[in-house]
Amino acid sequence: MKMRRDTKTGIVGLIGCVFFFFASQSIKQPAKLLEPGPRLFPYVAIILIAMSSVALIIKGIKERAAEEKPYFPKGGILKISKSYLMLVIYAVAMNWLGFLITTPFATVAFIYDLKGNSKVKLVPSIAIAVLVTAGLYAMFVWGFQVKLPAGILFD
Amino acid sequence: MSEYINALMICLQPINLLLIVAMVSLGIVFGAIPGLSATLGIALLLPVTFGLSTETSFVLLLAIWIGGVSGTFISAVLIGIPGSSSAIATCFDGFPMTKNGQAGKALGIGMTASFIGTVGSVALATVLSPVIADFALHLGPWEYFSLCFCAITLVASLSKGNIFKGIMAAGIGLLMGCIGMDPINGATRFTFGNVYLTAGISTVAQMLGMFAMCQIIRDSAKGEASMPDADVGKMKGLGVGIRDIVENIKTIVFAFASGVWIGFLPGMGSGISNMVAYGYAKSISKDPDSFGKGNPAGVWASEVANNASLGGALIPMMALGIPGDGITAMLIAGLTIHGLQAGPLFMTEQPNLAMLIFACVMVSAIVTYIIQIVTKRWFPYILKVPYHYLYTVILVICYIGGYGISNTMFNIYVMLALCFLAIFMSVAALPTSPLVLAFILSSKLERYFRQGISYAHGSYAEFFTRPLSAALLLISVACVVWPVYSEHKKKKAAAAAVPSVRSDVNDD
Repeated sequence: MKMRRDTKTGIVGLIGCVFFFFASQSIKQPAKLLEPGPRLFPYVAIILIAMSSVALIIKGIKERAAEEKPYFPKGGILKISKSYLMLVIYAVAMNWLGFLITTPFATVAFIYDLKGNSKVKLVPSIAIAVLVTAGLYAMFVWGFQVKLPAGILFD
Repeated sequence: MSEYINALMICLQPINLLLIVAMVSLGIVFGAIPGLSATLGIALLLPVTFGLSTETSFVLLLAIWIGGVSGTFISAVLIGIPGSSSAIATCFDGFPMTKNGQAGKALGIGMTASFIGTVGSVALATVLSPVIADFALHLGPWEYFSLCFCAITLVASLSKGNIFKGIMAAGIGLLMGCIGMDPINGATRFTFGNVYLTAGISTVAQMLGMFAMCQIIRDSAKGEASMPDADVGKMKGLGVGIRDIVENIKTIVFAFASGVWIGFLPGMGSGISNMVAYGYAKSISKDPDSFGKGNPAGVWASEVANNASLGGALIPMMALGIPGDGITAMLIAGLTIHGLQAGPLFMTEQPNLAMLIFACVMVSAIVTYIIQIVTKRWFPYILKVPYHYLYTVILVICYIGGYGISNTMFNIYVMLALCFLAIFMSVAALPTSPLVLAFILSSKLERYFRQGISYAHGSYAEFFTRPLSAALLLISVACVVWPVYSEHKKKKAAAAAVPSVRSDVNDD
């Protein structure tokens, strides 16, 4: 039998609660306080999540017979995983190589990733990537005085 | 009054006016394109404000906000897709008007109605906020805790779908807010030995990761990043006259009043007010059947109401420091970046800046109207901007913003982690508004709660014995209990109806 999204959400919520409950044991509680101390709010948050997780699991089980529409269309999960991986790779590459080197490549990659059914040509995309990189660099670094990563290799 | 005039003068300085024109234009584009929004615009601008003065930062943020909220009617009228939930009701009659060859008139109504709603409500907020702030100065931590608690429960209970999903989202927001040093003793929580986490999760990283990044890759994966063509016909002149306003005055007045009130209540922003006002306009019409087929009153109602909610939302934000929705939460985050705390003390200690906020919203509304009148004929072109280029630029700006928070890569990784969390929440249909509100208010909520108990020498009774605090807590309980009770009642009624239907069938 297929599990409903509500049930899966509830299970993930409960796993999160267990993790954060154990993590909250390391919070130092000062002695002789007039008030409940720093552990109270994490506990309140954990209880709220745990209660709603249980409610969602019950709801999912109760409604298990009903048809559930998939959230993503066919191939959507693969597409979002690919897009997310690209975001991570860009972050890691930027850390090592800096903003100026990685951004033109990332921009071209993003344009192709996000194009959907639109037709995109490589040469204009490269031109846009270079212009976007240079334009944003000039605007933020010189205009707004915001620093950008130089890259560990070039620091 | 003198503070307001000074603030107006600051807004009218050439550089600030230029910034307002630029940001309002950008806001209109963000509002007009479905998928983009004023919220996203503010999230992207927050990192830019790090190096700017408080005044300039707020000029930028408020101008993009006003432009963004006003621009949502453009796609609703031209292609029948609302720029955001605040313009859903605009589609009902705006798009049929376009199909009937009245796109120019529908856009004219949208522009004028937005202008009336924003200017009127902000004028009201300017007058009312100092009065409410004065009253709020007499409140203690008990009332403030109950107020924050009430705001979170209201938003959680009004979230789409199941109330437990709203509560779960609020719980995640509270837990995220607990990361870092606690606001009373300075004890570190959930930092896992990471020094960067002792300062807590950055609001900017949260906004960029959960709104901008998540939305872009999610829309792309769902195949929602494309739009139909707009068929506009003739677009000459404003399309609206004084006569149109007089004919619809009853609708405009009600839409304005309901918009301000609904905007004032936490969680019930422009997304609800436009529907309520539309329903009223239909109910008082002599020809209710014409609604949905291109009745201008439908556009008037929706657009006056959703823009009037702006001023309504400004009142609790300025007077009490309580954000009513995601956008005002971000504006409060903008104040925090510059070391300021919204609330009654802000109104009394920083009257110049407080008035600058009201004046800037007013000037932005006027500039928005002028820009819309001048550029009306080009509105259809806004909707032709290729998504893949626009989204790519936004993604790169997110990285710049994430890095700019602390000049380290750490916040970029936080942003990516929160983007993942937001994707999970979208799939699980968990609403983001309770999370944002709980996250922003978590520190205040905890501080007021613990201070309240400390001041009462360890007693919890003050929360229930002080009248305002007790009333707010009662409202909070009702907010949680009522949806559960009404759902139970509905199910019971449905269950009772099934056998009777069956028996009818059998009888036949």
